Amino acid sequence: MKRQNVRTLALIVCTFTYLLVGAAIFDALESQKETSQRKELDLKKLKLLSSFNLSTEDFDELEKVVLQLKPHKAGVQWKFAGSFYFAITVITTIGYGHAAPSTDGGKAFCMLYALLGIPLTLVMFQSVGERINTFVRYLLRRFKKCLGMRRTEVSMVNMVTFGFVSCMSTLCVGALAFSHFEGWSFFHAYYYCFITLTTIGFGDYVALQNEQALQTQPEYVAFSFIYILTGLAVIGAFLNLAVLRFMTMNAEDEKRDAEQRALLAHNGQAGHVHCSMDPGSPLSTPSGCGGVSGVSASGAASRGLRNVYAEVLHFQSMCSCLWYKSREKLQYSIPMIIPRDLSTSDIEQGDGYSNTLHSNGCVCSLQRHSAISSVSTGLQSINTYRRLNKRRSSI
Amino acid sequence: MRTHNIRTVCLIVSMVFYLLIGAAVFAALESERESSRKKAVEQKLKEMKEKFGFTDSDFTQIETVALRSEPHRAGRQWKFAGAFYFAITVITTIGYGHTAPCTDAGKAFCMFYAILGIPLTLVMFQSVGERINTCVRFVFSRVKHRLGLQKTDVSMCNMVLVGLLSCACTLCIGAAAFSHFEGWSFFNAYYYCFITLTTIGFGDFVALQEKDALQKRYPYVLFCFTYILVGLTVIGAFLNLIVLRFLAISIEEDVSSENQSSEPKDTRDGPESEAQTQNLQCKEDTLKLLCSCLCCDADYYSPAHFDPDEMGGHCNPVFYNSISYRVDQLHIVPSTPQEKVIHLTLR
Repeated sequence: MKRQNVRTLALIVCTFTYLLVGAAIFDALESQKETSQRKELDLKKLKLLSSFNLSTEDFDELEKVVLQLKPHKAGVQWKFAGSFYFAITVITTIGYGHAAPSTDGGKAFCMLYALLGIPLTLVMFQSVGERINTFVRYLLRRFKKCLGMRRTEVSMVNMVTFGFVSCMSTLCVGALAFSHFEGWSFFHAYYYCFITLTTIGFGDYVALQNEQALQTQPEYVAFSFIYILTGLAVIGAFLNLAVLRFMTMNAEDEKRDAEQRALLAHNGQAGHVHCSMDPGSPLSTPSGCGGVSGVSASGAASRGLRNVYAEVLHFQSMCSCLWYKSREKLQYSIPMIIPRDLSTSDIEQGDGYSNTLHSNGCVCSLQRHSAISSVSTGLQSINTYRRLNKRRSSI
Repeated sequence: MRTHNIRTVCLIVSMVFYLLIGAAVFAALESERESSRKKAVEQKLKEMKEKFGFTDSDFTQIETVALRSEPHRAGRQWKFAGAFYFAITVITTIGYGHTAPCTDAGKAFCMFYAILGIPLTLVMFQSVGERINTCVRFVFSRVKHRLGLQKTDVSMCNMVLVGLLSCACTLCIGAAAFSHFEGWSFFNAYYYCFITLTTIGFGDFVALQEKDALQKRYPYVLFCFTYILVGLTVIGAFLNLIVLRFLAISIEEDVSSENQSSEPKDTRDGPESEAQTQNLQCKEDTLKLLCSCLCCDADYYSPAHFDPDEMGGHCNPVFYNSISYRVDQLHIVPSTPQEKVIHLTLR
């Protein structure tokens, strides 16, 4: 099966397993407390009912009123400051829910607002995050030079460590500030910052809801907004560094596959070049492509085996990919590796393949677009594979 | 480098303006209603206090109990079904808040769970989304072929249209289902689906909170979970199509600009200048792409831009702009073999 499909299936299975395991653990941690709390509250309710001589309907009515009053008690939510806070929670997708539009017009505008605002914000944070990473890389390099170190390149490990440390410090700074201003414990304030900056935004803890802060404490309001946006930029930088490359992996591999198919088509029997997709399996490498019909049957099988092997290697390397050095060192190794690799990978495709590759200059395009992934589909030594995957790590 | 800084500053400024405009509009839409509602509720409270003869402290007691029993009224939230629902809201970052861990251990585990779960989920949705886009592109090109159209290439416009349609359908299906099962109006159910699938997750409307659904109506529970995950995949596919290239443009530019600024190596003088030309071209193209992303002009990139010989020895990294539809250009079934060959050599 194609690498992308294997990867996708594996991710789906992982996510489901993760959900199941998480559900089980949350159940174990919270279920008991929930039961005991419930009992306690029921008792309290009975006591209140009896002491105030209320019926259950009365109590329900009171409950309703209390719940309706809840957002109002936290302050005026929809004056400009509150609306700005709300707008932030919408486009960053935090979505506390401490205030939510009650008018239909508000709801409709909220949806339209989010439609444009969320992509804008995503792109903005990634852009800023990338700038931050570049700047940090520059600083670290200078720092290394100052320290008189011989190798002043900034490795992935350095960057990830720095990113992680900056995330932790952002959370700690926020925790300190909010525990002071909101009167929460440090742990709860940290939990609040974490839930906010990961954009989960439960709303169990929400800043600016005490003592009419939105209207009466403009400096604290400004601090909160700046903290949320800056914190999201820092987290965004870390995501840009560590996660974004994984999100583009499938597309990259798809590109590589397409290049290979194109090369096959180009170098296949002249005059029989037609690339018709295999109707039975839209997502597998079309075996008829390039008209290498004679070789295709056996080629497909060996390709299949090769792909599985490649997947295994790939997964192994994915785990270790963060431990390799920066791209500057690696690009020089690639031109030397590709030609040899292509010849090994193409042995199964047919003879005379490697020769034609060099002559028509298609090596360049393959090199350019799929240097990383093309190698991985060949049966080569782990060394070369690892060296090439360093490049992937630094995308 | 400079282009990138300008772009970043522009994005920051536009976001700030967007927030200001949004705040103003929300204030205009909601402020009046808020104050009138507040008055109404306070009036009602006064009446009730008088009716039952509560003092303020009495009422505080009732208030505390009422607020704390709010999540319990919706049913058992932390049995397996509820915990699974919660786990979904954590790793997808929806975060309704209809329940939140009350034990400190639960909170701590929640944080660790999110640290690993959120990237996993992001990558998973993008991965599946990309597969969906590829599949759709294939199906579309076959349909075009069957319809006997001359140009069977699937353009960006086509893909965006299909993406938009599928998102709208997903939202409508969800709205119909939830308005039926939860008793909400269609508009509120649509709003709920939208807020959920964009992972905002206010929590003003939350499914599975009526009539102990989490414990009693298992098919409905299953439907909800499936809907949320599938819906997020569809939205993820659309994002993968439209937005991911902009997120990844930064990476590509960063690399090429780093190549420019890295210490010059004597043996690589030739490729350096090629890299610069490439760099400029890449910037040109990304800007072009930014401006014309949704126009059909962007579909057919003039292949002459990318002369493989020029880029000879120096491997500029993968061009992320329009990854998925560059691939698409090679997927196409050309009308003549010559066309295909031309495409290849020009690449």
